[in-house]
Amino acid sequence: MKVLLVEDEQKIADFVCSGLAARGLQVTHCADGNTGFATAQQAGFDAIVLDLMLPGRDGLSVLAGLRAAGVTTPVILLTARNELGDRIEGLNLGADDYMAKPFYVEELHARLQALRRRLAGERQNLLQAGGYTLDRIQRQVGWRGASTELTAREYSLLALLMRSPGQVSTRSQILEHVWGYDFDPSTNVVDVCVKRLRAKLAELDGQRDAPSPIESVRGAGYRFRSE
Amino acid sequence: MTISFRTRLFVMAALIVGTVLAVVLTLGWTSLLRNEIDRLDERLCMEARRLATQPPLAEDPRRLEADVRLRLRLPSSDDLQLRLERGDGTVLLQSARWNPALAAQALDWRPSPRPEAGPPPREGLERRGWDRGPPDREGPPPRDRGPPPRVACELAGFIQAGAQWRAARFATPRSRSFVAADTAATKAELQGDLQRALTVIVPLALLLTALGAWLLSSLTMRPVDRLRTAMHGVTRQALDQRLASRGEDREFKELIAAYNTMLERLQTSFQQATRFSADAAHELKTPLTILQGRLEQAVHQSERSAIQADLTDMLEEVGRLAAITRKLLLLAQADAGRLALHLERVDLAELLDTLVADARMLASAQRVSSEIEAGLATQGDALLLRQLCNNLLSNAVRYCRPDGWITVIGHGRQGGVEVIFANASAPIGAEHRARFFDRFHRGDSVHGRAVDGHGLGLSLSREIARAHGGELTLMESKADEVRLRLWLPGR
Repeated sequence: MKVLLVEDEQKIADFVCSGLAARGLQVTHCADGNTGFATAQQAGFDAIVLDLMLPGRDGLSVLAGLRAAGVTTPVILLTARNELGDRIEGLNLGADDYMAKPFYVEELHARLQALRRRLAGERQNLLQAGGYTLDRIQRQVGWRGASTELTAREYSLLALLMRSPGQVSTRSQILEHVWGYDFDPSTNVVDVCVKRLRAKLAELDGQRDAPSPIESVRGAGYRFRSE
Repeated sequence: MTISFRTRLFVMAALIVGTVLAVVLTLGWTSLLRNEIDRLDERLCMEARRLATQPPLAEDPRRLEADVRLRLRLPSSDDLQLRLERGDGTVLLQSARWNPALAAQALDWRPSPRPEAGPPPREGLERRGWDRGPPDREGPPPRDRGPPPRVACELAGFIQAGAQWRAARFATPRSRSFVAADTAATKAELQGDLQRALTVIVPLALLLTALGAWLLSSLTMRPVDRLRTAMHGVTRQALDQRLASRGEDREFKELIAAYNTMLERLQTSFQQATRFSADAAHELKTPLTILQGRLEQAVHQSERSAIQADLTDMLEEVGRLAAITRKLLLLAQADAGRLALHLERVDLAELLDTLVADARMLASAQRVSSEIEAGLATQGDALLLRQLCNNLLSNAVRYCRPDGWITVIGHGRQGGVEVIFANASAPIGAEHRARFFDRFHRGDSVHGRAVDGHGLGLSLSREIARAHGGELTLMESKADEVRLRLWLPGR
């Protein structure tokens, strides 16, 4: 997946580029609005991550210009300033998603994946990992023919973990992805939800004593067991 | 108890108008009385003259006296004293009440201010003093020489047995008359008239007083009312409004100018404060983003679990900072009246169901119940409404007693939506309730440990509700209960 990042803050661009690259994406970086606008018009990008505060030409203007020029590449906006107003304007101008700073690269990656899936026409409705199958439409998890329903939160959490088996998701990342960044970060809602999810999975495969596919990484968070 | 300015104004105006009316009535009474006495004097003079010039020798003295009494309009013969004597001092007529001491009294006689009209006395054209001295003391009358001297009646007042009397005397060369009347009767007559008039005038005067006072107080209050209405229109969203002073009186112009100056200072400091928190929040976001991104990167790259745990802890703290920053920025926007809303249909029933499920997960030891009308929806900003409900439920979970309960009730009401968030809590004092929505104010923990959170949630929730045209209020409840009512208008 080829992604264009338009962000003027070098340090932010650095970790976003390396983070997305580590997750297997090809990232091109532009540091100002004009270059970004010119680069974005070249074919071949699957998605554009666009900061709003840019030197030269601001993000909203770049977005408007691209849409006016007939470029339909999905755009995710990044902003630090007057969030709500920018969000509304950005979405009105044809942005596909919106992320407020500070954000997690993990979350940005998840959003980019979601965009790609949407572009691919939602053909990949099933997510598979460690013998488990997650049905994106039915919100069900299956194991060897048996399946069980999940709540919205449980589904969202399991999908996050199953998307990148073996990789640790911190509690904050999980909280932001599943509950949204406005959720009180001091609650133990993540741990409680993981506990319930584990119970459901154990009931599904009938192996209550076997180690759960959702592993705790002490002090850090959780990860889905890789094969 | 404070009396309203209007009432005070009314009372003052009534007092002033009442006093003025009382003074006018008193002056009127005095002048009427004097007038009446003057008329009595006139009549006395006429009678004295009639007696002196037409000696009623043939008449019965009693009848004559009664006649005089009637002409003087005296109710009783006790009120009359009269005496008629010939030029040589022979008494022709003397009333029964004649007080002999009177003749001996030296009265302050003054000529009548109104010279007698009518024919001069037949007996002569001269005027002679009338005293107890012999008449021959006077010089010989200047007959038929020069203009005839005017014969005038003389008047005096005296007090006899506590009553005020008026007396008139008239002298001709042949006879001298003296007529006196008690003024009490005249006064009584006047008083009777006045009393009859007052029964009409006093209620009318009172009515006029009240009406005048009411008019006066209304007139004074009108610009004040106008100002108050205009001031009510100045909200924090419209601090740039200024009151118009055109057409106002000078005093109110000055007041309005002072108010406008105050408003300007308020606007300046308010804008500065708002911009400061917005700028501060924005400036904080870039370093926070870098910090969070780098920490996230480090967690993923780290191999050693001890370091990973440390980094995760830091990441959580950064998350907390980010949440506070975000809330402060939202509050700053709300304070400036610029909380931009992206209005769409929000399925409140679904939102609340999800959040109640979260609450059930978190508060497993407590009873969590909900009663939410199916399909409950409103027009609003999904992101902000989610934050609002989330804040309120997190609060309910955080402050719920270990053995307590949490209830959420949502239904349509009055064309809008009403959601009640209630939970059992430790007893909350009135001072805590009063400061419930204050920023950075936190209730005491029921668990004995420090309560997490930063005391911005409720304040922000209320701002979000208000930005939607709704309201968030703390309802009256038992001391160990928190009951918050969210109301959002229908669209």
